[in-house]
Amino acid sequence: MNRLARKYLRPSQIPTKACHGCGIGMIENWLLQAIDELGLKQEDVIFGTGIGCVGRQTFATWGGDNFGATHGRALAVATGLKLAQPDKKYLIVVGDGDAAAIGTSHLIHAARRNLGVVVICEDNMGYESTGGQFSPTTPAGYVTNSSPYGMVEPPFDPCDVVQAAGATFVAETTATQWHQTVKIVKKALQNDGFSFVHVRFPCNENFGAYALGTRDTGKNLEWIYEHTQGRKADGSAADFTWATGIKHDASNSRPEFTKILRDVNARVRAKAEAR
Amino acid sequence: MATIVRADVTRELVAPWAEWERRYTQGRRLLEAGTYALTEGAIAAGCRVFAGYPITPATDIAEYMSKRLPEVGGYYMQCEDELAGMHACAGASLGGLKAMTATSGPGYTLMHDAYGWALTNEIPLVVVDAMRVGPISGITGAPGQGEFYVARYCTHGGNFETIVLSPSSVQEAFWLTIDAFNLSERFRTPVTILTDQVVSDMWEDLFIPDAYDALDFIVPRKHNLMMPFFPLGTADLDVPPNLVGQGTGVCVSAYTHTEEGYDIEEMEAQWAQTYRLVNKIRHHRAELARYETLGLEDAEVVAVAYGADARTVKTAVREARRRGLRAGFVRPITLWPFLDELFARDCHYVVCELNYDGQLVREVTRAAPDKGKVHFMGKSAELHTVAEVVAGLEGVARAGRIPELPYIWTEVR
Repeated sequence: MNRLARKYLRPSQIPTKACHGCGIGMIENWLLQAIDELGLKQEDVIFGTGIGCVGRQTFATWGGDNFGATHGRALAVATGLKLAQPDKKYLIVVGDGDAAAIGTSHLIHAARRNLGVVVICEDNMGYESTGGQFSPTTPAGYVTNSSPYGMVEPPFDPCDVVQAAGATFVAETTATQWHQTVKIVKKALQNDGFSFVHVRFPCNENFGAYALGTRDTGKNLEWIYEHTQGRKADGSAADFTWATGIKHDASNSRPEFTKILRDVNARVRAKAEAR
Repeated sequence: MATIVRADVTRELVAPWAEWERRYTQGRRLLEAGTYALTEGAIAAGCRVFAGYPITPATDIAEYMSKRLPEVGGYYMQCEDELAGMHACAGASLGGLKAMTATSGPGYTLMHDAYGWALTNEIPLVVVDAMRVGPISGITGAPGQGEFYVARYCTHGGNFETIVLSPSSVQEAFWLTIDAFNLSERFRTPVTILTDQVVSDMWEDLFIPDAYDALDFIVPRKHNLMMPFFPLGTADLDVPPNLVGQGTGVCVSAYTHTEEGYDIEEMEAQWAQTYRLVNKIRHHRAELARYETLGLEDAEVVAVAYGADARTVKTAVREARRRGLRAGFVRPITLWPFLDELFARDCHYVVCELNYDGQLVREVTRAAPDKGKVHFMGKSAELHTVAEVVAGLEGVARAGRIPELPYIWTEVR
């Protein structure tokens, strides 16, 4: 166990049951690094998850308080919890299913309200814990176990969605970009508002095996890296490019949702007392 | 020739507010709606979060809450849908605030996801379902009683019991809402108030006591700050709810859990969790009995109804007795767990409810000593008239069956 895991995680719950070569544990280590560099303690952070690879492999690993919501509803739970516990930092660690499919409406409205949470959307580009079906972030044309002839739907970029909805911090990164990811998560945690961090990572067992034809972790990471660069190792152009980095930073530019509600209360009660 | 039937029959109300009403007499008398009473009852009980989505006929609860909650330091949240509403209530309750949501059938269906999560994780909260006639959107301004079983099986997967209460007047809605909050705290579970369009929209005489903080029967929120977070394999009552946000290390999961709250895939853990969720309610059924009866001492035919429909049915029972029938009346207020003991008497039962498929009648049939003496009078979208129920009671008393009446269904298969 490394130093950060010892400091922040729950020894009985790690290592997780994640598959060999899965990026989830590595990304969590980077989250810990950001938390540590900001000087946050276990009791400062509430760790919320959903369902699927990301939810199941990270739930209860955090040494502080954890909740694992029903599929897609982590942000709905967090909205109520934040009213009751406004001073905590919230890491809502969810997958592409939670954030970009079954729970998208909550994502949009949490962004619109500027709810003070950090959403870490760990995206393995499909439903891998159910055996590798496509999701709204699977690149068009790629083969999965529910798109044997290639994914026919166009994907969407959840960063675009939350930015349009009013998120005050939006960034995209991947499991191939350690330092960038830590830097981004630190910034996200410093925004008293809605922060969205999209992190793509490889799945060897399903997406790798069926869409890319390999269960080799190195090759699957390389495929992601190539798409952040827009070109392959041999210099030829990749079929598409993911622009990574901070996409929108309006941190602390407008009031956080539960603060607005507290301000309303103060106004209403002051008026009542004046009468 | 009519038989001589006692007119001074015994009325029995078994509910905590029978005592509360006697003890608290200082307050305001208002003419108000059921939705107002439900709102004020919640505020009195200490509710500080309402999260929901407007829907007829529960909308006015949301509107009243949006005005009242900021006055008492609470929070009103209008969510993107009912899924979010009830999940947000569960989140707020986990954070230490009492919470409520209110909806009607179409929204109640959407809450089943959150209901299961809150129920399994023993999160106290209160859900109001103001039933309208269905299925689906039905008629927004007409009463129904279609969620009798839906409220019992408010989520999938089995292995749980539920607490469901139903008021039949504006005044009762006020007291019953406080009771619902108390029970949700004591049993660590969501409680459904299954009301209907008539009770929620109706304006009626309402007594509201002064100074809610002087009410000594309110169960305050307590906090469990240590292991075991989930006392599995026990049926204990009054276990304080867990509190997320104090760094206790509590874990709250969607899966079968250990006493720490960790996910687990073992038969023993599943069994221990089920034991807890089922038996904390089954073993304390006596604490949950709330009902009203009339004339059971000599009744040969007993009319059974709940909610708004019980109002005309009760009047019909009095009318039937005036006409010389040994008629009685049973109004279960606690719908779940079902009060089998109310149907121990070997007599005819005429079950009146606002659906044609027959729901309450199936439970009465199961509980009654003689299944052949349970009769169904289903109606839909409007209350039974006194004349209809009297005709039904007379038909059963004289000929052993409900006569044919327009818009009344009697068949249950």
